[in-house]
This record gives sequence, structure tokens and C-alpha cells, in this order.
Amino acid sequence: MYGQPIRVSELDTNFKHEVMAHEAAHDITACFSCGTCTVGCPIHEAYPEYDPRKLARMVNLGMRERVLSSSYIWYCATCHTCELRCPQNVKFFSVLNVLKNMAAKEGYAPPSWVNQTQQVMKTGIVFATEEAWVERREELSLCPLKGDGEEAAKLMRLTGVGEIQPRAQL
Amino acid sequence: MKRYALFLGCTTPTKVPQYELSTRWISNRLGIDLVDIEDFVCCGSNQINLSIEAGLLLSALNLAYAEAQDLDIVTLCAACTGVLVEAVEELEKQAVRDTINKKLSTIGLQYNGKTKVKHISRVIYEDVGLNRIRKEIKRDLSNLQIAPHYGCHYLRPRCVSEGLDEPDNPKSLHQLISATGAIPVEYETLLDCCGGKTFPNSVDLAHHLIAKKLDNLQDKEVDCMVLHCQTCYLMYATQQEKMSEKFDRQYNVPIILYPQLLGLAMGADPVADLGLNLNVPSVDKLLTKVENEYKVRI
Ligand code: SF4
Ligand code: SF4
Repeated sequence: MYGQPIRVSELDTNFKHEVMAHEAAHDITACFSCGTCTVGCPIHEAYPEYDPRKLARMVNLGMRERVLSSSYIWYCATCHTCELRCPQNVKFFSVLNVLKNMAAKEGYAPPSWVNQTQQVMKTGIVFATEEAWVERREELSLCPLKGDGEEAAKLMRLTGVGEIQPRAQL
Repeated sequence: MKRYALFLGCTTPTKVPQYELSTRWISNRLGIDLVDIEDFVCCGSNQINLSIEAGLLLSALNLAYAEAQDLDIVTLCAACTGVLVEAVEELEKQAVRDTINKKLSTIGLQYNGKTKVKHISRVIYEDVGLNRIRKEIKRDLSNLQIAPHYGCHYLRPRCVSEGLDEPDNPKSLHQLISATGAIPVEYETLLDCCGGKTFPNSVDLAHHLIAKKLDNLQDKEVDCMVLHCQTCYLMYATQQEKMSEKFDRQYNVPIILYPQLLGLAMGADPVADLGLNLNVPSVDKLLTKVENEYKVRI
């Protein structure tokens, strides 16, 4: 994803505005590329190619396609360390969520999250109706789970999240 | 003592029921009144990945269910805690609340900002208090060396741990462990993430994160790690067998949920009351250590 020439003609200068239009990511342009987020990121430590600072820079430069099609944006551990430590108050974790939301709309969502959401719309709580767990709750005299996602599904339909299709593979 | 709606989440009531079992046992003894709301659905923390709005709407739905019964929520999972506390904060903005309530009204519900959210450990820490816990201790656990694990969303974002703890230098779980009589151990990878949210997308990545902490703890020879989130439990506990095959190391670090530890100290039956027989890897060695050297004082 990195190390390729940056062609100005391929940059989408509107990309950062598109991202900033979401309240959760409105401060992305305040990033001054210090790298504090990257230093504390557990995923960066495991996969050096995963780099919050670079992703923030790519957003601000307008590298729309490369960012949204990247599988890396889905590897975030959601630990919130980046935003806790950012000296510029950039909520990188939230920025990433905005990027994932945009990528999902363009067909890049991983099957894992799509399946989970569809499961919530069916049973309210994922796993609620799986037989092995239902039996174990009975054995332990724990109350049964309702396993009904009707009201959740009604609300989810208002957001369009139910229509998101998964990419073939992450 | 206060009443709370018990928010079980998705993974505790199914894959880690011993967390629920032990929480119900200690709550009963400590006078925390737990109310079950069968309408509760998933918290929204995974839906945020696809749609921030959908995630917030699910959080708000759960808040609305609890508010309809005039109850605050107590959570077990760190991620549920994080996303619900954040939702409470987000829904303090009138414009956001109006938008969400418009959608909630299509199913006859509303959230007006009354219901608040606390993790069970925070309830024990703040509502019950360390002094009361010390008075409840029946079994001596002072020969147990225990590594605390906080879980990212117990501490971050900052609004979750506001007024409770320092996200970069946490102490509250150390204190909760001390109050049971056991010894909390300091270790280098204290703040490491369990990788639970990476697991569905990359098992290798999750294993990498889990191994870092387990290697540290195995070298330290602690008696167990104590945590208070079922996802952290699933990562650190149930992955050990697979990881022992994958990496050239026999992992054997017992993992215990905080209510199980507290229940043990309070004299509960390890199996019937706390489900400690369900924990992997086995905690038998630890139980023998506790029972051999000390007898229940009652
Ligand atoms: S810590 Fe903040 S300012 Fe520094 S690179 Fe990361 S997002 Fe940018
Ligand atoms: S929230 Fe995601 S991007 Fe930020 S430090 Fe954690 S893993 Fe890295």
C-alpha cells in the first residue's frame, strides 16, 4: 500500500472534506504527522505496514482509493490508544470508523462484520439461539435468552446497514 | 443498595456463562440488585464498523429499554461498557438525541439521558467499596500472585474511566484484587490489548497480541491472570491450546474473571456458584493451593 509514487493527478482533494463532514472525523486536518499514534498502536507493532500516521496523511492528501480499498483499515484493535495520546486531539479511532463506513458502502466490508450485523437483525443477540449455548444455560439454571431481533432489525433498516454486502475475502 | 439492569451482551451469556454465574452470586451477597431485561440486544460496538449511526442506534435502543424501567445499566464486557458510555455522552448533544429519538419513536421508545452505564467492577469499586469487600472475605487468598488485566475499553476512551482511573496508569483493578487478599503483580505488558476485535478478521494478528502478554506472564510465573471482560477471557484463555500447537511453547496461564476471584474469597462454592470448572486452562492447581494451605473460616 505504501512506497508507490504519489501522482498528484490521482489525488482526490475532496476526500478529506468528505471524511470531515462526519462529526466523528471533523478534526483530521489538525494532524501534523508526529507519529505518536503509530508508536502506541499495538497493530503497528505486529504489522509495521499498518500505520495510523500514514493513513491520516493519506486521507489528508486525498488518496481515496488506496485508503478505502486497503484491508489494513479493518485490522484496528479498537484500543483507543491513538486518540488518547494524540497531541492534536485527532480522534484517529473515530476517523478510522468513518473510513470503514465509507469503504463498507463501496463494497469493501469484511464478511465477519456483515454476518454479525445480519445476525443481530435476526436474533438480537448474536449466538443467542445456538443450541450448544442454549443447553448450557439450562444446565446452569440461567434464564433463557429471548433471541429476537425484530425491533433491532426495524431500526437497522432505517440506516441501510442491512444492505451492505461483504467483499469476497479480507 | 442500588438496582441495575444487567446487560449481559452477546458472548458472556453464551460462551462464558461462568462470568454471569459468578456475577449473580457476588451481587446477591453484596446487595447489588440485578434486574434482567430480556429485550436487550447487542451493544452496537461491532456495528460501528459498518455504520456509526447503526451502532449508536443499537446502543440507544438498549439505553431506552433500561430507561423505560427507570434503571441504570451494569455491564460485564469492556467493549459494551465503552460503547454504551460513549453513547450516553454522544446522546447528551440535543441534536443527536433528537435524530436518534425520531428513529426510536418508530418502535415506541425514547431515550432521555437518564439511564447511565457502569461496569460491574466499577459498581463493586464505587457502590460497594473496598472496605465492605474486605469485611466479606472468608477464604485467605494471600498466597496467590495475580496479574491484573484491565481491558482497553474499561479505560478508554477517557469518558469511560473518568473519575475512576488513569487510562495510562490504572490502579482500580489492582486494588480490587488486593481487597480479596490476593497479591496483584506488576508486569511490563499490563496495558496490552487482547486482540479480541481483530480476531474475526485475522486470527494470526490476535495470536500475536495474545502471545506477548502470555509470554510475559508465563515467565513471571504468576498463579493466574484476573480480568473482567469475556472477550479478553476468550482470547487469553481459550486460545492457549491452539497457540501451544502453533508456537513452540506450552502455554498454561490460568485465567479467572474478577467476580470468580471475589466469590472465591467470599467463600463461594468454586463449581456450583462460580463455574470455575468451566475455565480453561484448568484452575485446579490454583484451587488446591488455596484449599490446602487455608480452610474456609466459616
Ligand atoms: S498522534 Fe495525532 S497529530 Fe500525531 S500523527 Fe497521529 S493523528 Fe496525527
Ligand atoms: S485504536 Fe486502532 S489504530 Fe488506534 S492505536 Fe488502537 S489499534 Fe491502533
